[in-house]
Amino acid sequence: MNKKEGIIRNILNSILPIFLAFVIGGVVIACIGENPMETYWILLKKSFLSSTGFMNTLHYASPLILTGLAIAVTFKADLYNMGVEGQMLFGGFFAGIAGAYITGMNPFLHKFICFAAGVLCGMAFALIPALLKAKCRVNEMVVTLMLNYAMAKALEFLSTGVFRDLGSGYVATPIIKESAMFSRFGRSRLTMFFVIAVIVLIIMYVVMKKSKLGYEITAIGKNSEFAEATGMNVAKKTIVLMLLSGALAGLAGAGYMMSEQFKYTLNFSGTPGLGWDGMLIALLGGHSPGGILIAAIFYAALKTGSDNINMYTNVPKEIVALIQGLIILFLAVKFISERMDLKGRRLHNGTDQ
Amino acid sequence: MELINNILYDTIYHSTPIILCVTGGMFAYKANVLNIALEGMMLNGAFISTLVMFFTGNLPLAVFLAILTTLVYGLVFSFMGITCKGNVIVVGLAINLIVPAIAGFVMKMMETANINLKNVNITKYKINIPLIKDIPIIGSILSGHPPITYLAFIGIAIFAVLMYKTRFGIYVRVVGENEDSARSIGIKTGFYKYAAVLIGAFCCALAGVNLSVERLGLYTNDMTAGRGFIAIAAIYCGQGEPVLSSLYAILFGVARSLAVNLSIYAGPAAGLFDIIPYIIMVAVLAAVSIVKHKNVKVRGFKC
Repeated sequence: MNKKEGIIRNILNSILPIFLAFVIGGVVIACIGENPMETYWILLKKSFLSSTGFMNTLHYASPLILTGLAIAVTFKADLYNMGVEGQMLFGGFFAGIAGAYITGMNPFLHKFICFAAGVLCGMAFALIPALLKAKCRVNEMVVTLMLNYAMAKALEFLSTGVFRDLGSGYVATPIIKESAMFSRFGRSRLTMFFVIAVIVLIIMYVVMKKSKLGYEITAIGKNSEFAEATGMNVAKKTIVLMLLSGALAGLAGAGYMMSEQFKYTLNFSGTPGLGWDGMLIALLGGHSPGGILIAAIFYAALKTGSDNINMYTNVPKEIVALIQGLIILFLAVKFISERMDLKGRRLHNGTDQ
Repeated sequence: MELINNILYDTIYHSTPIILCVTGGMFAYKANVLNIALEGMMLNGAFISTLVMFFTGNLPLAVFLAILTTLVYGLVFSFMGITCKGNVIVVGLAINLIVPAIAGFVMKMMETANINLKNVNITKYKINIPLIKDIPIIGSILSGHPPITYLAFIGIAIFAVLMYKTRFGIYVRVVGENEDSARSIGIKTGFYKYAAVLIGAFCCALAGVNLSVERLGLYTNDMTAGRGFIAIAAIYCGQGEPVLSSLYAILFGVARSLAVNLSIYAGPAAGLFDIIPYIIMVAVLAAVSIVKHKNVKVRGFKC
């Protein structure tokens, strides 16, 4: 009974912020003289109700599933790895370089090398804050936030200089070779990358729910001092988790490069960026793999929808970014209900019902 | 000589918004509320002031509205984070996302990619102090800056006094150090946390005005470029002490100024110079943390 209530509470906790954000978004749309219902209907229709649209939604969900997982494994352990964006960019960039400069490869092997490059770069970049946190107790959040900027600048330097595709009219790296590209299913943009993302999701589900590491993540997240006292090596686990997070982020970047972008541009991950989207997804999904899958698909629908809003109505597509921000804002309050749950159990016996 | 003057001038120039954020943000830090919305608040100050200047050309009104709207964000932050006990990091992130979204939305409606104040002559905001401006090195440090720059540096002293010599400052620190004890002796902890966040919002609004209207006469959506986070790093390094934290902010100003001025000589590697300030802050943060924890022998893992 209690468990059932918990699930209902969790679902309500995720749906209410979305509902509120859409109401406020609707008010804004109405204020500029457009019809909110019509706008939302276009968003829904184009992202879910046509088969191509739905497959596109799944396509855009693939990197988001991975960045969402990358955020969730660290946030759940009370580690704030805000560097997922930078790790994703770094992984994506070097996956692109490996894809463009290695020629005459077996397609399968080539893709594998690109993924390996992406994952290794993501892990390498996550290692810096991880070591600083574990060895010197530097606040990982501030470090990762700043390294994001450093990484964006460094990649800008590399893509305007050494790796610039001179044939291109704007700043971009060379397009990756065909052997590194994922082929699309039918008319939609969906590729094998979605399948890979789902497989990784399933693996992460097993890791987070069934394995020793998953238990340790939860324990460290609940109380790191207690975890240390019971014999867990929190510093070591911090490094492991950050590396795992970096690997997932790098994988996301590599996959996004090989299935969607095919070259690194200065606007590779869009605004506000796949890493930040991952944060929304992790929060929305309550840091659980199943929730992340649903949240990623929902968010990807917003993303495909936002392009269509731009195309079919006069509403600027920034409205979606606004709704996204509002969802995060309202999601923050969700944590009280979780806390209330612990305290509220006593309340429940007395006052409720 | 010209180069040294430029470096010194730019040091002050680049330090100002960060010092403002630091002096504002350290109250929240001392009250144990991690305000990572400094970035968004600063961006909001920049956006609203530029927008109002664009339509009215009225500077006092622009500054007033920038401060007012940023205080609204401060209230939203406090309400969600303190009254509703939400996760302040998440609330801060949300504000950091909402501000550029609103700005992007408005600029899309205006059909422009950035707001450029062509009608405003920014050189007239610079205060040239007679006599002092002719002294070689000191002149470029002390003279020729916009008013908010001077306010920022005076603010360090004012906020230092506010934090250490007044009842308000002491209560804020007590709330941060031990909230339960503070409540037990009758301090309204919520009020002091709200006040700490709102001071931060106020300063960030000024930082935004300084960044956009006073310095460039321009607003773009990525103009804060992580300065809010650098301010947070500076606060962490200086552990919320006004003078010390401001020194770290100035350190960033020095790094940025050197990067800007020396990149002319770097040729193709100039792009890499932009990275230096961020790397330096990470290195300093690491060094400070190592020193801080060197003598801590307690087993356990907590930051």
